[in-house]
Amino acid sequence: MPVAVSALTGGARASARKRAWWVKSVDRPALGEKTADFKRFSGDNIFAIYRQLKTKRDGAGSFEAEQAAKAKRMAGWMREGKPGFRLPDHQLSEGAWTLMKANEPGAGLLSWTRISVRTPAELGVGRHTAPPEEMAETVKAAARLYGAGLVGIAPMNEAYVNLRQEKKDIVFEDAEVPAVTGTKYVIPKKMKWVVAIAIPMDLDLLARAPTALGDAATGLGYSHSAFAVASLAEFIRGLGYQAIPSVNDTALSVPFAVEAGIGELSRLNKLVTPEFGPAVRLCKVFTDLPMACDKPVDFGLVEFCKKCKKCAEACPSRALSFDDEPSFKTRGPWNNPGHKAWFEDSYKCYQYWQKVGNGCGICLASCPYTKAAQAWIHGAVKATASIAPAADGFFRIMDNAFGYGRQHDPERWWTKDAPWVRRG
Amino acid sequence: MPNGADTFTITIRKRPRWFWVLAGLWVLLEVLFLQTALASAREDEYRAAAISWIAVAVMTAGGVLVWFRQGRPRAGE
Repeated sequence: MPVAVSALTGGARASARKRAWWVKSVDRPALGEKTADFKRFSGDNIFAIYRQLKTKRDGAGSFEAEQAAKAKRMAGWMREGKPGFRLPDHQLSEGAWTLMKANEPGAGLLSWTRISVRTPAELGVGRHTAPPEEMAETVKAAARLYGAGLVGIAPMNEAYVNLRQEKKDIVFEDAEVPAVTGTKYVIPKKMKWVVAIAIPMDLDLLARAPTALGDAATGLGYSHSAFAVASLAEFIRGLGYQAIPSVNDTALSVPFAVEAGIGELSRLNKLVTPEFGPAVRLCKVFTDLPMACDKPVDFGLVEFCKKCKKCAEACPSRALSFDDEPSFKTRGPWNNPGHKAWFEDSYKCYQYWQKVGNGCGICLASCPYTKAAQAWIHGAVKATASIAPAADGFFRIMDNAFGYGRQHDPERWWTKDAPWVRRG
Repeated sequence: MPNGADTFTITIRKRPRWFWVLAGLWVLLEVLFLQTALASAREDEYRAAAISWIAVAVMTAGGVLVWFRQGRPRAGE
């Protein structure tokens, strides 16, 4: 069996990775059920969808009026020095977003072709070859160096790749190299592997959500993502293979991350990891470098989410589902149908963003799995929840009793001396 | 010798096995709550830290009380 095929079919053992004993590898994720309705996502982002829906619901000019009111409100908060929304808070967030905003799919750091790395041929050597397990370990080590908190390998699934982006089709062709033309993005069919990466967010900032400081955690996560995938793509190209770096563009990150064993799909309809909860930003690199794939994981999250509902209660816009069980019932064009999940109302969510002037993040901060790793008891609670779902309700009550998930004082962030906290 | 007696008796009572099991559990919980209290304060989780400190105080007081009560001579000894 050729190495490439053996790696894809699971003939190769999933590469070793140190994780807690209560994070179990499984053949199928708990929320992996899909129907024939599951198709490639349109690629329309929520921002475009919101604008269209807002205009349709509230009349022509309503979106523009809302944006003008938001700008006026934010300027007022800056002038009056509202904690978390002062000029330094706002500009801290803007600075954090810099690297991400400087890119667009297929260009800049997210270029689909090499930026500066010299190829093995240019160095006078052959491409790097090794067994799939060893290749996976090599790539994971590089990804961790570039900032990955968690990294896993999943097989390429064309169904998770968007149909379009930037008004161009995304197509799979028998090409040797990836290409971005005037009309389409071309992914070579030989790119059968996806390196899925989770970048941990700064919990100190996230705990200040939904302020500009909270938004800085998101911006920083995205900027680190752009750096990580760009660096990893160059590393892979330097080994003699093709690589496409991607943050939120090109394809859905969550299903690849689930299949790569980074975490599980949650009530948030986002990924929750055992180590960082939902406080991660996801990104990925598509490649033709043959690697051993990882398996999905189960750490009891879906059962926990059924009982917890803390994120849904904390959400100020009531955008998250209160249903006991996940279902196939989508809530708008931002959801991709044909898979079981707790679908969210992104229109309500984004409407709240307009009120606060920036991204929210309360759901991420309130999740009981979002915990700094310093207190040992968090690991003990997560382990128990994984093996004894009967205790889930008790843990949810205790999480509230201990005061977790409440907003931290925004002003204190600027003077806090916290050498033990890794910024970003 | 007290009261002019020629001898006196020292009673060394062996604590039962269950006592040491409970003592081990007590030490484990004490360390866990103490670590949670310190770590929570560093994480700015003041309520969690306060509750953990209360737990440490109650467990310490309870542990000391039980230790000495267990060591006291019983009637007839």
